[in-house]
Amino acid sequence: MTPRRVATLVATCALVVGLGWLMFSFLERRLSAPTPDAEPAAPAAETPAAVGPHISAILYFVSEDGTLLEPRAVDVPLRDSPAAQARALVEAQLAATPPDALIRAVPEGVAVRGVFLTGRDDAYVDLDGTFVSALPGGSHNELMATYAIVSVLTTNLTPVTRVQILIDGREVETLTGHVDLREPLRKNEGLIRVP
Amino acid sequence: MSGAGRCREARRPTLEWLVVRRLAVLLCVALTLAVASSVPVAQGPSPAPITIVSPQGRRSLTVTTVNGGDYLSLDDVAAALGLTLRDDRVTGTTTVAAGGRTAVLTPERNVVSAQGRLVSLAAPPLRQDGRLVVTPEFVTRVVGVLLERRVDFRRAGRLFVIGDLRVPRVVVRGEFAASAAQITFDIAPAAEPTVTRAGSELVVTFAADAVDAAVPTVPANPLLQSIRPGEGASLVLATGPRFQSHRASVQPIDAGTTRLVIDLVAAGADTLTPGAPAAPAPPPPPAAGADPGPAPSLPPPGGVRTVVIDPGHGGEANGTEGPGGTLEKTVTLQVSRRLKTLLEGRLGLRVILTREDDRTLDQDERAAIANNNRADLFVSIHANAAVRPTVKGAEVYYLSVDRASLESRRAIQQPDALPQLGGGTRAIELILWETAQLRHLEQSATFAALVESALRGKVEMSPRPVQQAPFRVLVGANMPAVLVEVGYLSHPEEEKTLTSAAHQDKVALAVFEAISAFRGRLEKPAQ
Repeated sequence: MTPRRVATLVATCALVVGLGWLMFSFLERRLSAPTPDAEPAAPAAETPAAVGPHISAILYFVSEDGTLLEPRAVDVPLRDSPAAQARALVEAQLAATPPDALIRAVPEGVAVRGVFLTGRDDAYVDLDGTFVSALPGGSHNELMATYAIVSVLTTNLTPVTRVQILIDGREVETLTGHVDLREPLRKNEGLIRVP
Repeated sequence: MSGAGRCREARRPTLEWLVVRRLAVLLCVALTLAVASSVPVAQGPSPAPITIVSPQGRRSLTVTTVNGGDYLSLDDVAAALGLTLRDDRVTGTTTVAAGGRTAVLTPERNVVSAQGRLVSLAAPPLRQDGRLVVTPEFVTRVVGVLLERRVDFRRAGRLFVIGDLRVPRVVVRGEFAASAAQITFDIAPAAEPTVTRAGSELVVTFAADAVDAAVPTVPANPLLQSIRPGEGASLVLATGPRFQSHRASVQPIDAGTTRLVIDLVAAGADTLTPGAPAAPAPPPPPAAGADPGPAPSLPPPGGVRTVVIDPGHGGEANGTEGPGGTLEKTVTLQVSRRLKTLLEGRLGLRVILTREDDRTLDQDERAAIANNNRADLFVSIHANAAVRPTVKGAEVYYLSVDRASLESRRAIQQPDALPQLGGGTRAIELILWETAQLRHLEQSATFAALVESALRGKVEMSPRPVQQAPFRVLVGANMPAVLVEVGYLSHPEEEKTLTSAAHQDKVALAVFEAISAFRGRLEKPAQ
């Protein structure tokens, strides 16, 4: 076998491996993008505590002065698909105990009904009605709760750029009369304290 | 000739005759003055009649003006309402009776005995040309007792309303320009209006027994000549020579008021696109050669004439609640009312509240009220809350827009063209509800800064006083729009402050000053 043939064989193998990886990635994305009517693709995470493999994710809490969202690194279980990872992140955001003097940005006791990803880099987070009923009102509280959910996905899952919150499986106009939730929202850097 | 001379000589008056004649003249003058001073003086032209509206029908009464006031013949009143009259020449009194109930009056005396109770009147019954005349007050306060029914006098509409009838009050306003005019009817309590065209007249008929209408004098303009009461519960608009068509819309203003808006369009003028939120554009310019009439009493084009104030939440939506139990919906309504009073009283602006009381309104209704009334400014009033109770201070928001969505929305917001009768096309501008606020973002930002500046001098501000947020209520507003958070009800001290009249006055005054400043900027010629 001449050196030229060896080089050709290596290049062909590299090309085949590359194409296979691309196809695998594409299929994974497609398979993890069910319609909103479909069942969630991933099982619920048991707890946000990192048992086994985990990632260091950024979660959001209300800052000490109460005016902004403050990012903090928290261990979140590693999941084997983007959709499952998205759900794990939202569950961690909802369940996490605030560190230091920070406080929760989201109400307690909220259940995740599903997290869906689409091929357009949008995520849909379906929460139960507690997310509305336990919110004490006021546009500031509504902004903090909404953008904590939006930010935890847009920050930790790179392909996700927009997030729409659903309540009990349905699109809602607002949570308590302020923030327009009829379309997916982008991250609002103006609400986040720069570390 | 000599005969005539003799005759004159024969009739030459003697000294005694001259004295007697002068005394007679003086006596006549004195008698005339005495009679004149004892008889009330009728003044001016005949006043408009007053109509009695009762379950039995309508009857018009002739009115006489005496000493500047309206008087009615007691005979006419008695005939219209089935009263009996009996004069007592011995005592000089007149007894009015109905169904066994009586009232006794004495001409020139302010006190009347009605069913044994003395009723004091502002002006007494009088004798005029041998007839007894009484004031409208006599009818409401004395005749009402005899009939045992409520008698209302509606001064604006010159109506007596007897019994439980549907007689809404209708306040009519008009804005006039050369090629368009808008007539607004505020109807309270609400009564459904219908508009029909009869030749050169538009007849507005209300679903009521009668209307108590305050009709303004129409200034000279080519579209509308006059507004006058019609038959039954109706008003008649006599259109002018340039009138071509009209468009009417009805919408509820609050729980008890309906608003009818009639747009009159001149021949050759473009109409607004039905169904699209109306842009607060100035009236179109007069057509070439047309007589625009006197300048309409409107502020300069582009100014602020109508402001819609939106008291946040309401009804089932309490908004947030302070630790002391203060509800956001209550504070927002109180502040909004104070602001309305300031704007109407000091600037003379037309001010509309999206809700006048505690009622539920959805977000689109709020913007719709502003759009349908062609408001020039939209101010939504809210009170805030934070999970950390130390957060306090006022904030002002204007709409934030997703940049990618903005581009896609702009792309679909290009002017469209519609075919016209007779060929050709006419460009129309479709304003999508979701994009209505986009065109006003710059002015909204300017207005937000003015509100923040005015608030800063009067109340404590949040560390982040001006912000952008995707607030639902601002999206559909087709005019500069802001949302003012007047403070944090979650802060115990600020909750107490926000419920005080003094603090609410400060907030209202600050927003008032900002609106005044914004109005000044718009109306000032470009430098």
